[in-house]
Amino acid sequence: MNGTKVRRLKAHRKFRFTNEDLWGYIFIAAAMIIFCVFTLYPVINAVYTSFFEYKPFGSKFIGLDNYVETLKYSKFNLFYKATKNTLIYTAVVVPLTLLISFSVAVMIIPFQKKIQSVFKAMYYLPGVASGVALSVVWLWLYDSSPDGLVNRLLGVFGIPAQNWLSSTKTSMLALMIMALLSSHGTQIITYIAALLGIDNSYFEAAELDGATFFQKVRFIVWPLVKPTTLFLLVTGVIGSFQVFMNAYMMTGGGPDNSTTMIGLLIYNNAFEYGKYGLACAQAILLAIAIAIMSLFQFRLMGVDVEY
Amino acid sequence: MKKILALLLACVMVVGLLVGCGGKTTEAKPAETKAAAAEQTPAEAAPDTIVIMAPPVTGNYLANLKVWGEEFHALYPNLTVEVIETSWGDHNDKLSTMAQAGEAPDIAEISSGALGTFVEMGVAIDIAQYLDADRLADYDANALEYMSLEGTVYGLPLYLTIQSIGANKTLMEELGIDVAKIQQKGWTYEEFLEVIQKGTADGRFGFVFANSGVTASDMLNIFGAGAGLSNNFTEDLKYTFTSDNMLTLLTAIEEMTSSGYMPNYGVEAGQRMVMCQTGNAMIFGKAMPLFENNFKKNNAALEANDGTAVENSLKMDYAFLPVPTMMGCQESCYGTVDGLIAMRNKGTTDEHLKNVLLFMDYICSGDRIAACMNELYLDPVCQTGRDALVLEEGRDEANLATAARCIAMVQAPPAGVTAEMTATAKKLMDEQIVPKFQLLLAGETTAQEVYDHICEAAYAAFGQENCVSGKIG
Amino acid sequence: MATTGLYSQHLHNKKVLYLRNTIITIVLVVLAAATLFPIVYMIMSGFGPNVATAGNMRSIFPSRWTLESFKAFFQFSDYSLRWIWNSLVVAAGTVLGNVIFASMAGYAFAKIHFKGSSWLFALILVAMMIPYQVTQVPLYILMVQKFSMTNTYFAMILPSLCTAYNIFLCKQFFTGLPTPLIESAKLEGCNQMQIFTLIILPLAKTVLAVMAINTFMSSWNNFFWPFLVTNDPAMYTIQVGLKQFKFANETLFAPMMAGATISALPMFILFFALQKYFMEGVTIGAVKG
Repeated sequence: MNGTKVRRLKAHRKFRFTNEDLWGYIFIAAAMIIFCVFTLYPVINAVYTSFFEYKPFGSKFIGLDNYVETLKYSKFNLFYKATKNTLIYTAVVVPLTLLISFSVAVMIIPFQKKIQSVFKAMYYLPGVASGVALSVVWLWLYDSSPDGLVNRLLGVFGIPAQNWLSSTKTSMLALMIMALLSSHGTQIITYIAALLGIDNSYFEAAELDGATFFQKVRFIVWPLVKPTTLFLLVTGVIGSFQVFMNAYMMTGGGPDNSTTMIGLLIYNNAFEYGKYGLACAQAILLAIAIAIMSLFQFRLMGVDVEY
Repeated sequence: MKKILALLLACVMVVGLLVGCGGKTTEAKPAETKAAAAEQTPAEAAPDTIVIMAPPVTGNYLANLKVWGEEFHALYPNLTVEVIETSWGDHNDKLSTMAQAGEAPDIAEISSGALGTFVEMGVAIDIAQYLDADRLADYDANALEYMSLEGTVYGLPLYLTIQSIGANKTLMEELGIDVAKIQQKGWTYEEFLEVIQKGTADGRFGFVFANSGVTASDMLNIFGAGAGLSNNFTEDLKYTFTSDNMLTLLTAIEEMTSSGYMPNYGVEAGQRMVMCQTGNAMIFGKAMPLFENNFKKNNAALEANDGTAVENSLKMDYAFLPVPTMMGCQESCYGTVDGLIAMRNKGTTDEHLKNVLLFMDYICSGDRIAACMNELYLDPVCQTGRDALVLEEGRDEANLATAARCIAMVQAPPAGVTAEMTATAKKLMDEQIVPKFQLLLAGETTAQEVYDHICEAAYAAFGQENCVSGKIG
Repeated sequence: MATTGLYSQHLHNKKVLYLRNTIITIVLVVLAAATLFPIVYMIMSGFGPNVATAGNMRSIFPSRWTLESFKAFFQFSDYSLRWIWNSLVVAAGTVLGNVIFASMAGYAFAKIHFKGSSWLFALILVAMMIPYQVTQVPLYILMVQKFSMTNTYFAMILPSLCTAYNIFLCKQFFTGLPTPLIESAKLEGCNQMQIFTLIILPLAKTVLAVMAINTFMSSWNNFFWPFLVTNDPAMYTIQVGLKQFKFANETLFAPMMAGATISALPMFILFFALQKYFMEGVTIGAVKG
């Protein structure tokens, strides 16, 4: 293995860990072991596989060919179209979900405990609906016939019936609306927890300065829940870049590949076409893209907000 | 300085951990294979376990499979059968993962379209050498062709499903349409258009096809069969979707969608039969002979008035119809084969494969397959199955005859197609053709534009010299 | 109580107060209605007649109220109840592991300045970015070939025993706690373990409850991994079991929805059991930066 590193390690045997270091390692030990075996090992394995034409019995090393195939520009290469779709989807869904979740969390706060818990339950419970029920309902809502529920609703406002999931004009919009209305339970709960962690004395101080409600939200609440926002933003972007289920269940990527996401592309290569090596390469390119995005988010939000 | 060293140290720790892990895994591999091989070393009639993985092909299939496994064990006491039950729609994902891990089951159910993927992956096994020639001869050559690539047989067929269109027979006869003639002699696209025009009335479409999302490909395949596009490749292995037939087909579909005789919006798979049963559509697709059962059940429920009938449905008879022909092409029908294939895993030896094939043949033939076919309203594709078949009472004679006629018309893929060719054709279909076709169905493009795109993509994938130009058939 | 200060503006003007609350309520209810639609539909279908396929999907309310579908769900397999039990075991194991290990790791990454912490944390985040479609093949080989764990609870629990997501969640939460609190405890001679158990954990009830609920929910709804590592119907989780109601040409729709409704019950219960931790909030009181 890595000779120079071993030597350096030996040279620094005398190097002493502080008490603080030791405690740190003790605290993360269990987590790191689980992480290395069940997450890091498969990840490293996938990176390794991305350089192979993978076959269960006799893979062939092909260097960067999988990467070249993924990135080679052609009119028929879906990778670019899928990247574009995923970016648009993420850019719309993630910020809006955060905004909705934050607003809902703030709006729930002023009520009495009992009413609060009713609302919390209302927003949390849709998460327990099984994926199958969810997709059946949404397919039904988006029924393109004039009798479709959403179409009837639009009819009330005099808007003509739309060919929701079957038209390139509306398919992506339909998936976005579905994501905005059905996946914010977790975010709302997380935000509420963060909001309740804010000490009242901050508001009392602001009150003395005559701050309005929106000023309090802007200058006290928003900065203080920044770590939570950062967390939800980063995990939201990761989830959105990997999004797969919506497109898979609702549109299969169509029409005209207008809802083909990178997650769907990777899935198809791994499971439909048996090109596991190629799928790994695409997954790693995706991860690199997410990592770069995340780095920006950390910079943007400030790495650690301490007070 | 201190900080950098510390970071380095942490890195080394992690790398060390990983290398430790990696090293162990590579060592473990050969030892394990050896152990597995040693277990399998044959003495005559050594005990052996056969693992089969299947989804519920029919409602009773998995329960039956267990019974047949026990019967088989009684016949060959040294052989035990283990059934892995999967769910419909997720079967292929689990199979792919297991195959890629080198842990595939000995026998797996697949649809013929997926065969190329597993052959390319190197996990499909040439079964001819492990099965007696006279047993192999029991299966129809036509159906076996679906389970073969480049002349190598990889599995045995379970059944050949035919997909076409179905109709509210009662209504058609009321409108004075000669259903019997269509069922017996077939019809042309022009006649079909006339019929669906007649069937269109206030609040009712003459025709509906579930074509939203990935089901759009069904429409292409089913109507393609009537336009001489039964297969992706001709006998001399040229790609067919670039032929004039394709343009004719696309133009016809463009005409249908804009005619007003069928919905000009996407229809979900679950809706098509309901639309027919509630009188909102006369002819619907895709349809299988099996649907006769749904209509019968619904009629019975309506009569009993027990609330289990489809809401607002009417009493009606079902007719299974052949697909209309275009351009004077010979009448044909779209068919696919589902079958069982033998797969390579860590424990695969010649002796083991013989046992595997013994069981595979057992469940694909005779009484076993006959029971399965009765549930699916299909004809067995092997002689012993046909011999064993006792038809259930009360089946509609006209539908039976039509189904038999359609099965006979199905054209198997030509011999000599390679795994790579099918894989390329599949990818082309999924990523280029179907998406553009969806656009056509939504009325957002023209037949000519779709055709041009298909040609361009096909020439890029196969080379222009390997694609048909002009008309087929 | 914490955070009520945010809404102190109109406390003295009853009229404005009512108006404000009414507007907020309307907004919340409208949004919640859209959100709740799928689950209402699921429950209603469960109480409908035992019909195959979704049938005519134009109405929310079943044509007839009956418990047939629930009966059909329990009669469908000998293991219907066992599936729920399996899901409970797996979800409980996963929640327990995450609450202990992820909170410890999250605390360490947030408040203990040990060497290499930022690099290790970055590594954890990066690993999260590889989609599961490609990592599950090596994971499957690991669990099935190396560990021979097919059909065990371990196979279903271990991979998500301490997720990167939860470590990240805890780190973000603990970062928000005032450092002087920890410093003063140290001065009084507490070691890190004492600080964690005596000071931090009591303050972390909210985040732990959030984590427990979210982890439970994702474990409960997880389909593909349990589907991969179980071959024996007795070891299926409820999500794997529910998929058995789907056949090639028909879906036993109503029993499936009945099963989904039953399977949602434990999550309702868990939610209301942990509800009070969301109410308390954190009162750090005197010590502040």
